[in-house]
Amino acid sequence: MEGLYISAQEKSPKVIFDPEKKIFEMEGNSRPENVREFYYPIIDILRKYFENVIDKGDLESYIEAPFNFTFKLDYFNSASAKFISDILVIIKDFMNEKLIIKVNWYFEDGDDDMKEVGEDFSEMISLPFNFIMIQHN
Amino acid sequence: MESYDVVVNHKGYISLDVIDEMLHHLKIFLNNKVTDNKTLRKRIYSLSVECLDNILKHSDLNEENHELLVDYPPRFIVERIAGSFLIHTGNIVLNKNSEKIVKRLNYLNELDENEVNELYKNSLSNAEISEKGGAGLGLIVMSKLTGQKIKFDFEKINDKFSYFAMQLIFKN
Repeated sequence: MEGLYISAQEKSPKVIFDPEKKIFEMEGNSRPENVREFYYPIIDILRKYFENVIDKGDLESYIEAPFNFTFKLDYFNSASAKFISDILVIIKDFMNEKLIIKVNWYFEDGDDDMKEVGEDFSEMISLPFNFIMIQHN
Repeated sequence: MESYDVVVNHKGYISLDVIDEMLHHLKIFLNNKVTDNKTLRKRIYSLSVECLDNILKHSDLNEENHELLVDYPPRFIVERIAGSFLIHTGNIVLNKNSEKIVKRLNYLNELDENEVNELYKNSLSNAEISEKGGAGLGLIVMSKLTGQKIKFDFEKINDKFSYFAMQLIFKN
């Protein structure tokens, strides 16, 4: 299955989806001019990928090597928040199908709001997050 | 004497490019003048993005009424007074939409902090993205970030349009 690589722009995050390595990463800022155009393909490819895994019955390989989602966001607007929540719902849906997926939520030291937003998402969707603080040098 | 800065003062046409320029200017100010408080910097930036998104996406104006812009231009002003921030916005809306906005703002202004947070979470789950790319979350986010009542006013322009002005206060 094909992956995805979107490079970071001033208004949109870097996005990496690598099915081989079982990683999905989002990093940077998100207030894209056309938020639907930016997020719909990402949501689409993720859903298809996980549906495919379930169809193949390939659950065991995820016990040894879980799929890792990493969110390293500095800023996102409210419309992007909606789509990030949609991505998290996909994760939750497939965890309910017994797929092992990990969610890593990064926030900078001193950025309490970004941590709180992650906590809100985690609570809202009943999805456990690993919270990781990025220390400044 | 209390310190006072006009950080952004825009009255006139608003486009994506104009927004980018204002946000760039705001970011430079915040990075240079609010050096010790990352949370404050990000909150003022977030509030500004939501305000500008609203002006861009929810202004009800079409080609035939463009002359109204001369007297009622879109407005976005950010002031800093002794560490607190004031954001003023203004844009033209259809009279038929103003009632909906008043209802929504009055409702938000009656909620306490916890209720606003709950409303935000519920709205996020149920939000649908409009064709303009809005999630209908902007006003809730403004209320959540400021923790203050949102002041607003509608000035009737004619039978069809009003000028919607809003003031957000961010107390530090």
